[in-house]
Amino acid sequence: MQAFKTALIRSVMGELKVHRVRFFDYMPSAVRALAFEPQRERIAVARADGSVEIFNVADNFFQEKVIPGRETRASEALAWVGERLFSAGLNGEIVEYDVDNHKVKYTLDAYGGPIWTIASNKQGTHLAVGCEDGTVKLFEVCEGKIQFEKNLAKQKGRIISLSWHPSGSRIAAGMMDMIRVFDTETGQSVHRMLVERGIGTAKSKECVVWSVVYLTDGTIVSGDSSGKVKIWDDHTGTLIKSHQVTKWDVLTLSASQDETSVVAGTSEGTVIQFQFLSMVLGQEERGWVRTRTFKNHTHDVRSVLEINTAIVSGGMDTQIVMRPLLDKIEVKTTATAFRKIQFPHRNLVSCAKKTGLLLFQYPTHLELWRLGESDGTGMPGSSLPIKRKPEKLLHLKTKGEEHICCSAVSPCGEWIAYSTVASLRLYRLHCDNNNVSITKVSKLPKILSSANQICFSSDSSRLFVASTCSTVHVAALSQTECKFVTTLKSKSGSGQAIHLLAASEDGKWLASANSAHEVHVYNLKKMKVHCTVPVYSSGVSAMAIHPTTNNLFMVHADQQLFEYSIEQKQYTDWSRLVQRNGLHHVWLERDTPVTNVTFSRKNPAHIVLHDMYMFCIIDQTLPLPDNKSQFYNQLTLRSLPEKERKSQSHAFKVCKTYKELLFAGLMEDQSLVVVERPLLDITAQLPPPVRQKKFAT
Amino acid sequence: MAKFQRGDLESKSEKELSEKMSDQSDDEGPEEVTFNDSKAVALKSVKDARDSVKRGKELLKEKRRKRQLLFQEQKKSRLLPEALLEEFDTVATKPPTLPDVKGEQQEEKKKKAKKPKKVSKSLQGNCKVMRLKDGSANTSMQKSAMDFIQARLYGSGSQRTTNAELLSLQKKRGLNQGAAVQFANKKWGADQKAKAEKCNKRFIHRQKLIAS
Repeated sequence: MQAFKTALIRSVMGELKVHRVRFFDYMPSAVRALAFEPQRERIAVARADGSVEIFNVADNFFQEKVIPGRETRASEALAWVGERLFSAGLNGEIVEYDVDNHKVKYTLDAYGGPIWTIASNKQGTHLAVGCEDGTVKLFEVCEGKIQFEKNLAKQKGRIISLSWHPSGSRIAAGMMDMIRVFDTETGQSVHRMLVERGIGTAKSKECVVWSVVYLTDGTIVSGDSSGKVKIWDDHTGTLIKSHQVTKWDVLTLSASQDETSVVAGTSEGTVIQFQFLSMVLGQEERGWVRTRTFKNHTHDVRSVLEINTAIVSGGMDTQIVMRPLLDKIEVKTTATAFRKIQFPHRNLVSCAKKTGLLLFQYPTHLELWRLGESDGTGMPGSSLPIKRKPEKLLHLKTKGEEHICCSAVSPCGEWIAYSTVASLRLYRLHCDNNNVSITKVSKLPKILSSANQICFSSDSSRLFVASTCSTVHVAALSQTECKFVTTLKSKSGSGQAIHLLAASEDGKWLASANSAHEVHVYNLKKMKVHCTVPVYSSGVSAMAIHPTTNNLFMVHADQQLFEYSIEQKQYTDWSRLVQRNGLHHVWLERDTPVTNVTFSRKNPAHIVLHDMYMFCIIDQTLPLPDNKSQFYNQLTLRSLPEKERKSQSHAFKVCKTYKELLFAGLMEDQSLVVVERPLLDITAQLPPPVRQKKFAT
Repeated sequence: MAKFQRGDLESKSEKELSEKMSDQSDDEGPEEVTFNDSKAVALKSVKDARDSVKRGKELLKEKRRKRQLLFQEQKKSRLLPEALLEEFDTVATKPPTLPDVKGEQQEEKKKKAKKPKKVSKSLQGNCKVMRLKDGSANTSMQKSAMDFIQARLYGSGSQRTTNAELLSLQKKRGLNQGAAVQFANKKWGADQKAKAEKCNKRFIHRQKLIAS
């Protein structure tokens, strides 16, 4: 297992020892369903492990919230009703989420066996679920709950897909071998439209109508397992047109808001667009025409969405792809660029800087590793001989069915804390030579019941627990116990959950960032709010407090950098300079957010940041690059003579040697840890793709 | 004595027969066998057959008897010692006499009255009444539903390939072409390699190429 490597790289800091870590086997889960909420431009993504993620389309597709999953709960479908989010799954339950606090609000058994689909009507008054036993159940959406209203006429065979007519008077249901149209008033079936099976061997198999879409003009579009997209008329209940799209299944459909376009996702990994166009130029008569094909996935596309200016798709290859529709974009900006989301926009790795321990967070367990050591020095860029191999110290399984939502290891490496939705657990780690033992802190204060984010103070004497409604609980840690100290509460009274915490090195300050983009700074000596950083329009993706100057450094989802002086309660001069100058366009065009910020102890002017494709050292003493200068200038600098280097260099030193980064940060001994997860290794573990014949292979 | 003689005779005749048979193997023609001799041989074989049947029956009988004995012993060993059993009997007979006493009856009534109260009290405390999830039915249905999806997407006739092949194909068609993934990445073919190794060993063993 060649997973660890110590290498030297040349950087502004002279030479830097790098621990190249490849033993974090992070495996994302397949995307199962997508749902778009047009008012606030949010997309909810349901994954196969039961977790739900919420992305903000307007804010650079930033992953704002993650609602952790549960062992037995796998959502099959999602539905927004206004700002409320519902899901349903094969365990037969309907779930409403508490979107503000990143958890499940309640679950309700529909008593119809596994639920295949859930759909809300445009008026936002009702939810319909399609069950395994052949019933379509209507639920009334009430204040704070949903209530069963009635069953539509029971059918033989499962209801796979549902779509409301925008008026709310009819529902189309995709079943095995047929589509039924129900009248929601009477509950009776109005039409029964038979869908033909595939040809050849597929003839003996039932045809599954995986997806239906009901349009305002009474057109029903269906996608089925014979690989056809069919257009039906609901007045007569007849087939208008059939498009053979693929040899495999058409798994999902989605119509645009103005209903002039429908996109279909297939098992091949393609997304195919159909548009409602006039057949002959200049004539009124219009029909559905197949127009574009996108191939952005290697595996089955399980869900697709057409939002205002883009097509968003996700599937078994675990990626979410946002493909802009160039005909609908007026001004090309980075916000409307093509995007692939492969890694979460948050940290799953926490490191104990002083002792060289790494804590990896998996959905159902934690792993603690000790970094390897090497002696001697080598040429820059070469790998060093390993004196001690990296070592897995601990494999900590969670109790119960809930998945882990956050975890942390203390800087000294003696404490480990993790939290699920149901409980928070704190462990004390004893490491003497080769013996590792762990004891659970049994009597936690009752108030520390669950956390959205956990953070230890730098001297490991305090535990900060971000709880519901933007509150932070402070607990004091001693040798044997954990004592509750106080609760910090911001004045704004925002109900949004905190997703980032940062404690200062001297133990005086604590900063918290929540999903409403607010950043609060607390004074830990007085235990109250010190100040609030002016709210910026984009969410904070990473932040940290500088160990010597106590400046709060924030990076936002739109790639902007801010430095805020906590003591003076204002932005620093450097930050103002950055804003006046503007950042380099290459920096702004990057499509993954920065997920970690660390500082160099040796040189206080150095800030280390990383996103998925690179890590970067910002030298605050050097001038900022202007838009005309070369951004990636390391190679040119190397070729220049020593004297000219000074004049050419700028503040951003980017290193792209390490790719597919989950974490990069500086340790206490000035070595850099990079945690890589090659996408190839992820692909290797995916379910099998379809077999396609490629020419000349 | 008669038996002895007959046995002698038989053995003699047998010897003669065998001699004759061995003679037959020589190129002389078939010799005469007297009627008496052949009769004796036939009788003897019939008797032998009868004897063997009888012996088999006896053996079976013996077996059955032994088994019966074994069962009985097992039954005995399972039962508690008789002394203990007797004790139980005496205790069992006692209780019916108890209810005759009135005081005790009253006490019992009190107990009965107390019991339901206790249950409700404990309920008011930490416990609450809830329907236990009828899990088995639900999970089995969930499982069958998942199997349905699995069968539809990945079942027979779904024409699937492997990830390795997909990646290799990409390598083959890509700009910078390279070897198939299972060769490029040593981790990949690990299980196949192990299998081949095992196969090899088995082959060697079967062919006895190495003396074991």
